[in-house]
Amino acid sequence: MSAAPAPRSATDSPEKPPEFIVTLRGLSKIYQQGDVNVTALNEVSLDIARGEFLVLMGPSGSGKSTLLHLIAGIDRPTRGELHVQGIDISRLNESQLADWRNQNVGFVFQSFNLVPVLTAAENVELPLLLTRLNRAERKKLVATALDLVGLADRMHHLPKQMSGGQEQRVAIARALVTDPQLVVADEPTGNLDAHSAHEVLGILQSLSRDHGKTVIMVTHDPKAAAFGSRQIHLEKGELTK
Amino acid sequence: MTLSGFVIRNAFRNKRRALLSTLSVAASLFLLVTLQTFLRELTVPPEDVGASLRIAVRNKVSLGMPLPARQRPLIEKIPGIAAVTPFTYFGGRFRDEEFTRFAQFAVDPQVFTNVFVDAYCPPEQLAEWFKDRNSCIVGQDTLKRYGIKVGDKMRLTGTFYPVDLDLKIAGAYSGTPDDRSVFFHHKNLDEMLGGGQTVGTWWVRAASAEVAPQVISTLNATFANTAAEVRAETESAFQLGFVSMWGNVRLLIGSISSVVVFTLLLVAVSTMSMAIRERFRELAILKALGYRRRELFGFILAESFGLAMVGALLGAGGAYALFSSIDIQKLSGGMFVFFEVTPRLVAMAFTVAAALGIVAAIPPAIAVARTSVVDGLKTLD
Repeated sequence: MSAAPAPRSATDSPEKPPEFIVTLRGLSKIYQQGDVNVTALNEVSLDIARGEFLVLMGPSGSGKSTLLHLIAGIDRPTRGELHVQGIDISRLNESQLADWRNQNVGFVFQSFNLVPVLTAAENVELPLLLTRLNRAERKKLVATALDLVGLADRMHHLPKQMSGGQEQRVAIARALVTDPQLVVADEPTGNLDAHSAHEVLGILQSLSRDHGKTVIMVTHDPKAAAFGSRQIHLEKGELTK
Repeated sequence: MTLSGFVIRNAFRNKRRALLSTLSVAASLFLLVTLQTFLRELTVPPEDVGASLRIAVRNKVSLGMPLPARQRPLIEKIPGIAAVTPFTYFGGRFRDEEFTRFAQFAVDPQVFTNVFVDAYCPPEQLAEWFKDRNSCIVGQDTLKRYGIKVGDKMRLTGTFYPVDLDLKIAGAYSGTPDDRSVFFHHKNLDEMLGGGQTVGTWWVRAASAEVAPQVISTLNATFANTAAEVRAETESAFQLGFVSMWGNVRLLIGSISSVVVFTLLLVAVSTMSMAIRERFRELAILKALGYRRRELFGFILAESFGLAMVGALLGAGGAYALFSSIDIQKLSGGMFVFFEVTPRLVAMAFTVAAALGIVAAIPPAIAVARTSVVDGLKTLD
């Protein structure tokens, strides 16, 4: 099954065919639970264009988070092809995959997952510690990322000194600081109040619309889904529309 | 922020646990160093210059059995022997003390300094001692401890022999590893006991280190199949034999030390596993952000190693500082003159701590390595 991307992003125009950053063909993921095989994803084919804000929807257990994890390179498919930015990431070994994630993917999770003993700036700096950048360069990138999410003035605050919305914005800054082409967000507004959720979704939308990042978001919330440029639905591991 | 800064923040994120873990390592290593120092002090071979030449000759049956005084001329005739003195433990109490706090030995003053060549006593004092059968020489440490001086009298109340000795202090000696003992004329003891037929042991100085093994063999052979067979042995072997009368101290202390280290290992592994278990979600996130297994192992190892080394610094360093500053002779009631925490023992404690830090990091590191990012994330909520 495949779902065609809606040409919405600035990078996609009627004159120029969309450039796909993610291409899935016949992708399946089967988990073994004891003697039982559980199919989380079944022969999914999908293209995601660069700069697109794709929303994955579906009931619990439909396979949307599994699909997100596969695309982000934190899980491996059982079958099928999975190309991200032209690389078949299912063929990368653990170490190569870790490097690839560091350079190409930004993660935003439902529960923020900031390190509690580090300040906002230090949390954002974490992915940069794996790079060859010096301290001054890292500091500059961290400031830029925090400024982008409107938290330049909270740089030295610990997570416990911030609201949930602010924590999630720090998590977005952490996802952006390495300038990845792909940002994946798993229920990013699940733990936020309506106002904070609106702010976070606005930032994600801006990343796609204004900065050309490809954003893939899993959500249950139709209001959140409305921020995306395209929605696809999964049910029982298959794309339905 | 640096990676080392990140490790330090993580190590002290739960300050109480970090403190308690460090203190448990410190207390255990303090105990380990103390036990090993205790064992070393009991078993360390004498290091003075004459020790390699000195040979102790005792009754083969038991150290408590005397030897006949008539053996002396036979011993003196053995080739390779430079000097021989009787050496009989008196075991008297001084003043009102309940126990014997320093050893007293009856010796032959004329050859004493030929056997115990490291003992230095001014010649005029030695001459005074030689002249006066009721005099003695006393170690500097004992003089200092009791505030007595050359020329004073000292009364030793016999506990081992049914006699008391009134001795004049003719001289003070120093330069031996243990400057606490009192040496007096064997003839004095012989007279007091009304005999002169026996001695406690013989102490012999071999002419050279090369002939010492042969001298030992000859001594043993000379008195074989006599009424008083002897056991001749080097000074260090004699001292180890003396310690062995307490039982197998080495095995006992070795066993306790092993239990201490093993218990410490269990505590360290448990603590690290608990600390990492609480952080599984963060480690999964770090994996997602691009940190590899070896980097995560590095974090865990550095944290575990760091806590263990801080514990070693406190425990071994504390033992070193404590035993260097206290009066161990006073504290141990005279049992130990020295209680030296040697660099080797400190290094041993740090090695144990390092091994502990590494081993304690392995189980949680394996658990983290085996857990995929997705499984790690599932432990989140």
